[in-house]
Amino acid sequence: MIEAIELTKQFSEFTAVDKLSFHVNHGEIYGLLGPNGSGKSTTMRMLLGLLKPTMGTARINGFDVQTHIVEAKRSMGYVPEEPVLPERLTGWEYINYVSDIWRVPRGSERDEEIDELLTLLDIKDASDDLIETYSKGMARKISLVAALIHSPKILILDELQAGIDPRGAATIKEILAGLSDRGNTILMSTHVLEIAERICDRIGIINKGSMIAEGTMDELRLKAKGQQSLEDIFLDLTGGPDMQRIADFLGE
Amino acid sequence: MLEDLLILIKHDLGGILRVRNVKGMRSERRSAFRRLFRYVAAAIFAVIVLWGIIFMVQLLGWSFFQTAIIAGIDFGATIFNFLVIISFMGSIAVSVATVANTSKMEYLMCMPISLRTLFLEKTIVVVFYNSLIYLIIGIPIVIGLAISSPVPFALLSIPVFIVMLLGNVTLGVALGGLIGLTISRFLAGRRRLKQIGWFLGTSLAIVISTFYYYSLYAADSGFSQFFSIILDFAKQIGLSSDFSPGGAMNAVTVRLIVGLPVNPVDILLAFLFVLVSIMLIYVNAIASETAHYSGWLASGSKRSSKREVKIAHTSWNPSDIPLLKMTTTTSVSMWYNTASVRREGRVLANYLVGPMRTVLWFLLIFLAPGGTMASFAPFIIISAMIPFAVSYGVYFAGYELVYEGKNLMNLQLAPASLVDYVKGKVFSAVPFTMIATGIASVLVIIVQPSLWIYIPAVFISGIFLTLASGGIASYSAATGGDFKAQRNISRQRGAAVQMPIRSMWAMARAHLIPNMIGFIGIGAILGIGIFLNPLYSYLVVPIFALICIQLMRSYVGKSGRKLQTIEASEYL
Ligand SMILES: Nc1ncnc2c1ncn2[C@@H]1O[C@H](COP(=O)(O)OP(=O)(O)OP(=O)(O)O)[C@@H](O)[C@H]1O
Ligand SMILES: [Mg+2]
Repeated sequence: MIEAIELTKQFSEFTAVDKLSFHVNHGEIYGLLGPNGSGKSTTMRMLLGLLKPTMGTARINGFDVQTHIVEAKRSMGYVPEEPVLPERLTGWEYINYVSDIWRVPRGSERDEEIDELLTLLDIKDASDDLIETYSKGMARKISLVAALIHSPKILILDELQAGIDPRGAATIKEILAGLSDRGNTILMSTHVLEIAERICDRIGIINKGSMIAEGTMDELRLKAKGQQSLEDIFLDLTGGPDMQRIADFLGE
Repeated sequence: MLEDLLILIKHDLGGILRVRNVKGMRSERRSAFRRLFRYVAAAIFAVIVLWGIIFMVQLLGWSFFQTAIIAGIDFGATIFNFLVIISFMGSIAVSVATVANTSKMEYLMCMPISLRTLFLEKTIVVVFYNSLIYLIIGIPIVIGLAISSPVPFALLSIPVFIVMLLGNVTLGVALGGLIGLTISRFLAGRRRLKQIGWFLGTSLAIVISTFYYYSLYAADSGFSQFFSIILDFAKQIGLSSDFSPGGAMNAVTVRLIVGLPVNPVDILLAFLFVLVSIMLIYVNAIASETAHYSGWLASGSKRSSKREVKIAHTSWNPSDIPLLKMTTTTSVSMWYNTASVRREGRVLANYLVGPMRTVLWFLLIFLAPGGTMASFAPFIIISAMIPFAVSYGVYFAGYELVYEGKNLMNLQLAPASLVDYVKGKVFSAVPFTMIATGIASVLVIIVQPSLWIYIPAVFISGIFLTLASGGIASYSAATGGDFKAQRNISRQRGAAVQMPIRSMWAMARAHLIPNMIGFIGIGAILGIGIFLNPLYSYLVVPIFALICIQLMRSYVGKSGRKLQTIEASEYL
């Protein structure tokens, strides 16, 4: 469903993503992990067609993103890392806006669906407020509603769980599991390794724009000999904290 | 694509033009007066104009109007061309700013629409903003004249006027946007050239278009030889007007109202201009899309070099400028303001040459009666320094204060005086005023060497005028600024279609008061010098300076205190 083939992105002289290849199968939840600045968001933006890769190909649902961008986008829902939303619209208006663009037929069915999602994520009571009044977590939730309302086959979620309350996080986890059971494909990035460990079918760890490990949890464990938890594996592969410097800093 | 476009426009304008309060409990409730004010004001204005025209026609008789309009028939073209030029000049950075801010539109970009549709829609919204005021003023005038006119088909001029107006504004905006994108294309990847490139590009675009404008406007003055080929061509193909969008618009609207014959060639030309406008706005969208994907606008890019380049952090050691005591906060603020404006070439260029538009306005007023005022040219150049001095204050101290946005939180938390901080912003405008007045002084000396004696007086007054204007603007910003401006596509820095100061009164105060002070002050300096003795002029300068300093101090103080108390919900 999602294919990245030697994706490369250079920002002037800096290579943010370096010949990254991976694929996400139908109905799979794929977790993209990596330190800050390792290129997760940039990769996602290239898959979505928001950025043009310097080299390589991104294929969504069989469509090459560069040549068939609108067709590719039609099957994707995206929650950005830092949702910047139309502040002068209310949540309800925004969701209707998105639904119109995606040609979700107007009518009571659609309204009920929106209502259901808003209630599920506990933001129903704010739906008539301007988005500029939303808290960070609320903005992310409304952005998830916008991504789900047109029932996309593929979801791309960039640090969706960041700043979401425990109840919301649990709800989201269930929703994602349910969607994947129904055959939806999900690509997500997160820094919460525990979430990744629990809900992802496969995990890719990238560092400095390149894939350094990929596979199911079991495969990753095998790779990082002896390490059990994802956190240990992650730190083993990408480097742990520099204890000497920390001591120096605290001791000064 | 058309359907997508309409959906985008509908929702975009829906948020902007909201009349009713939203229902949610978190959102600000605005009184019916505040919500409806702009609509009611516009409607009342339109009705008064309409009624006034109809009344006057009844009073003086239609033939009076008809003769007057026919006698000055070319004036219509002048005005309409003026709208095109103003839209053009104001839009040079519009498309570039939109493309540069795509990260703020991710929610739109991931929708199943092509980016060119998206950019097209944003440009249409810009056209809408640009034409709004002209529509409000123009429609009642045209309706009034059209229903008063006994000429058959005069009423037809109403829809024709609206279409042509929108077409002409579109032409200006699209051309401006394209020029901006072209400049950015040339400057792509050249870090060093960026500021100077944008400055030259923008100035060149403004100067050339101004020349073209004047050559149309004062067809027998020296300017016209620059474009004589075009003008001759226009005559040859039998146009009733010159070869210009305003001329075409004039030919199919005003001539229609007063019953002058409308040439088929004119109609054809009008059609052509509308067609070209539509084409250009579409080309602009395609160019924006290309610019987005190819990353011309990627920030911080530079040509790669084989040599290793050491990264050196520039720092500035805050110190006192001779004769001027400054606190550290003031000097840091001054440095920061200059650095942050300078960093983006297009913002700097926009600020620096922005006042040219104001100057153009009053050149029009001065020159309107005809060439007889030409002997005043040196005085016009001298007074042209006033808008420059004023505008730099408004931009650097007023607008830049608003664009601090979220950073206000840091400032409020910092253990420094906001009054000093604002002062730094005001001071940062001064060097730019000095450069501009310096250039203007050279021009004056070339045109009229005998005026050299006033140059130092005007130069010094300009500096103090900037201080006063900066102070007043900072207060306008603190009281009426939209501290979330940067997040709004049409209010963005360096290409604002809507100004970052939202309150109408605050905006009027920021622009009108300092301009008035400037004209009165510099008028007094010149007047006393010419009628009494040039040396007396220099007695006025200290008084003027003192008044300006006093104004600055009082307003900067007020604005600093106001900023300290601004609630976080205004900027977060
Ligand atoms: N528009 C841009 N221009 C220049 N460099 C960029 C741009 N966007 C991203 N980068 C750089 O590319 C690299 C990868 O960024 P990216 O946002 O993809 O990281 P990330 O893995 O999502 O990090 P995080 O976990 O912090 O979200 C970073 O070094 C970043 O500085
Ligand atoms: Mg990221």
